[in-house]
Amino acid sequence: MTPEVPAVLAELAAVVARNAAPGVPEPERASELGLTAMLLGLAAEVWDGAAARLVEENRALRALLSDTGADEDLRLSKLKAGNDRLRAALIEAQIAAEQAGDQARQEAIWAELRASTERRKISVSLV
Amino acid sequence: MTDHPLAPRVAAYLATKIPGASDLTVEAMERISGGASRETYRFRARWREAGESRERRMILRRDPPASLIETERRVEFAAYRAFHGSAVPVPEMLWLEEDPAHLDHPFFIAEELAGLQASPQMLLAGGYDAALPKVAERKWTILGEIAKADPKALGLTEVIPAPPLDGCWRRELDYWEAVFDRDQAEPLPIARAAIRWLRAHPPPPAQKLSVVHGDYRTGNFLYDEAGEIHGVLDWEMAHLGDPLEDLAWGFNPIWEFGRGLAGGLLPRERAIAIWEQASGLKADPQALHWWILFNCVKGQAIWVGSAGAFIKGGNKAPIMIYPAWWLLNAQDRAILKVMGKL
Repeated sequence: MTPEVPAVLAELAAVVARNAAPGVPEPERASELGLTAMLLGLAAEVWDGAAARLVEENRALRALLSDTGADEDLRLSKLKAGNDRLRAALIEAQIAAEQAGDQARQEAIWAELRASTERRKISVSLV
Repeated sequence: MTDHPLAPRVAAYLATKIPGASDLTVEAMERISGGASRETYRFRARWREAGESRERRMILRRDPPASLIETERRVEFAAYRAFHGSAVPVPEMLWLEEDPAHLDHPFFIAEELAGLQASPQMLLAGGYDAALPKVAERKWTILGEIAKADPKALGLTEVIPAPPLDGCWRRELDYWEAVFDRDQAEPLPIARAAIRWLRAHPPPPAQKLSVVHGDYRTGNFLYDEAGEIHGVLDWEMAHLGDPLEDLAWGFNPIWEFGRGLAGGLLPRERAIAIWEQASGLKADPQALHWWILFNCVKGQAIWVGSAGAFIKGGNKAPIMIYPAWWLLNAQDRAILKVMGKL
């Protein structure tokens, strides 16, 4: 998820600490902590599967792009950096397929994009 | 309750704006949750004037350090004022202040329409089911009234740029694509593919130049238990353009709230019929489809901007994170759905 979970958790820690102090107006405390609780719930939901999702998607993208690389470093930040590089390459590949009128290639790319939204789908998704 | 730290500063400002007021105090000030584009507070002002005690409930809308939506508060203020007292219900605007000396950031103050609800979750949770048909009828009738209104007669062409009828779509698409270019933190292949499709298949010229609210959806109006709508809110993205843009924003699948109904309220065809009746305009299906996809892209740009404000450090509030986490992927899925890919 973007922004990245570690950066968000660090900020939420600051929010909780701020609201633990006296003098915060009650409606604002309730609003900030309620929102914080929802965000923590989402972070908890995606955490366990985050690395697996990125590895799966990077493999699918490499197959589609004929990229011979591999995910050697399994830290989430490294997997995400690789994912960003591959998704940027996918945009270029899709533009090339559109310009060439290559319907089969376009369909394969749309299939991967569809799958990418299934991988990222959260329990409270509106669509 | 602890006095809000802004209260004495707001009181000092009001004392300069209400002639003859003395002993002016600001009480019961509290921030209203949500409001990622402006900080919103409600409060009660009390003062003495001509030997009598006076009281008025008011709303303060203040610019945050960095916003989910970067807009001109002058335009928002003008749009509210233009429709006050018309068939489009809005709260009365009282003062616009662009000098940050008073409250650190620009702001405006309006009357509070008290005792009403805006929450879509509350509206759609079951307790208001009997009122939903009335809400729906009023929602799209009011939107039709906005579309029907003459921006020149309202004085808005003096405040807001008026694009040519055949240039409405391009101006909006250029603007929101630039938001992606500026704020995106990662590649967005689905949104970029949608933008290419939109540019390759432009809609026909607008049938008229209209006021476009820009965020007219369930959640941005105040309703009562009988289903009457008393105030249309959140005009911060108001502009002049194609009236179909406003109709289509509410048909972004995100705003179905998972219920498979336009705005979570009724079938899309019925909403269109109400709008056409009220506006006297036609919703060409192909043009409307273009504007629905455009609005999915616009929505995604807003969620990307929200994430960008957090990442760049301009605004670290949790309200900036939630739209990105909750909606970025759902909006991608909405784009796929509208493009017939899901």
